[in-house]
Amino acid sequence: MDKILYLISEGLKNIWRHKMTAFTAVFSLFIALFIVGLLATAGDNTHKVLQYLRSKYKIEVFFKQDVTNEEAVGLIHKIKKLKGVRTATIIEKEDAVRIFKDQFGEDITDILGYNPLPVSAVVNLSRTSRELIKVEPIIKRIKSIGRVEEVRYQGNLIKKIERNYKRAVDRFPYLAGAIVLIAILIIYNTVKMSVYSRRELIGSLQLIGASRLFVKTPFIIEGLFIGLFSAVLVFPALFGTIQGVNYLLNNFTTWRIALSFNPVVWLWLCLIVISITLIGSYRAVSSFLK
Amino acid sequence: MIEFRNVTFTHKKGYGLNNLNLSIDEGEFSFLIGPTGSGKTTLMRLIYFDLFPDTGIVKVNGYSSNKLKQRQIPKIRKSIGMVFQNYVLLPDRNLFDNVALPLHVLGFPGRDIPDRVDEALDLVGLVGKEDHLPSELSGGEQQRACLARGIIKEPDILLADEPTGNLDPIASFELVRLLETIHETGTTILMASHNYNLIKGRGRPIIELKDGKLRGR
Repeated sequence: MDKILYLISEGLKNIWRHKMTAFTAVFSLFIALFIVGLLATAGDNTHKVLQYLRSKYKIEVFFKQDVTNEEAVGLIHKIKKLKGVRTATIIEKEDAVRIFKDQFGEDITDILGYNPLPVSAVVNLSRTSRELIKVEPIIKRIKSIGRVEEVRYQGNLIKKIERNYKRAVDRFPYLAGAIVLIAILIIYNTVKMSVYSRRELIGSLQLIGASRLFVKTPFIIEGLFIGLFSAVLVFPALFGTIQGVNYLLNNFTTWRIALSFNPVVWLWLCLIVISITLIGSYRAVSSFLK
Repeated sequence: MIEFRNVTFTHKKGYGLNNLNLSIDEGEFSFLIGPTGSGKTTLMRLIYFDLFPDTGIVKVNGYSSNKLKQRQIPKIRKSIGMVFQNYVLLPDRNLFDNVALPLHVLGFPGRDIPDRVDEALDLVGLVGKEDHLPSELSGGEQQRACLARGIIKEPDILLADEPTGNLDPIASFELVRLLETIHETGTTILMASHNYNLIKGRGRPIIELKDGKLRGR
């Protein structure tokens, strides 16, 4: 029991004895994890950005001149039922006159003596779909319900946004994998360097008859705590960073970055980091043991 | 207690030991002399199984180099105290922690350790310097600290490889006297040195090596 307590206390004392090495290790691990965290947050928010942009997609449907407000309500009801459509709002003939007056400062009925503006509808698309939105089939379906004179929409813009989203989503797993791999290598090498700087200690312990386990245990405990410190520090750092970015974003948009806290994910992250530091410490010490 | 039977060991650079036959009895205090490169350190390393002979057998405390398993080495080393020319104290620990280290390795109860450290430090005359780091001790003090670390576990064998190599004549003389005091407790001691003046006339067996061969005894 005394031996176990000694080895645990040695592991903790080593952190204090080698403050700079420990700090460097914690800092490197923290940076690696922070980048992984930022990436995860970016991934989590990419779809939210898309949802925000999709909420701005607008399709304007102009009905034929002889379509009355009452008939348009029925047609809009049909549009609402189309797949991919979230809302459809009627712009009655009278509303169109008012909008015209707001935009041009003239009352068109005064100029022409009658209201030439048709009933129209503003259609918003469903924004939550993880799939790519293809706007042309929706336009085709809107036109197919009949009594439609013209449909205006931002076709190229929508295409560009959707295409770029798909590109990002397709590449994200590779990017995340590469960054996680780099993080693992950084963590592993940091731990190895930390052990390397104390290879004399390993040699001395062996000379006085320490078993391999006796030599390894303090390093493993040290690695465990370094991993734990780094993992624990990451969440408040990410939270602070995102709060700061949101504060800046507040000047330009109402959209905010969300930091999702899923305890299971964070627990896994901690476990992975601790596992890497444990394996790293174990392997590094083993390589210096005769 | 220590036996070399037809032992040959060659380092990559060429020197080592050449068909050495030697035995050291339990409780003996022997000096090992010879010029630099004569094989003194190689012989010591073979005793604590840091090296294994190319041919022949080294027997230490009943363990034989040709039958030894890797996991038995720590066990043997627990019964051997070592003192080196270059001290090999841990620079990040104070004197107390350095000297206490072998006791932790042996699994001594924590409550017994301070008394044993005090005893060892008392024997080598370093009481009151427990909190000093090795860098805060003189060369002679560091060597005595190393000796305290070597004897604290009451080893069967104490190996001292050129322990006076970095010490002035007075400190060297004191260190040999200390070793003689430790020997009185029954410890088998082998001290390597190339300083013949330091060891002559002490009435102890002298093992002389030259070019890896036993030249005289």
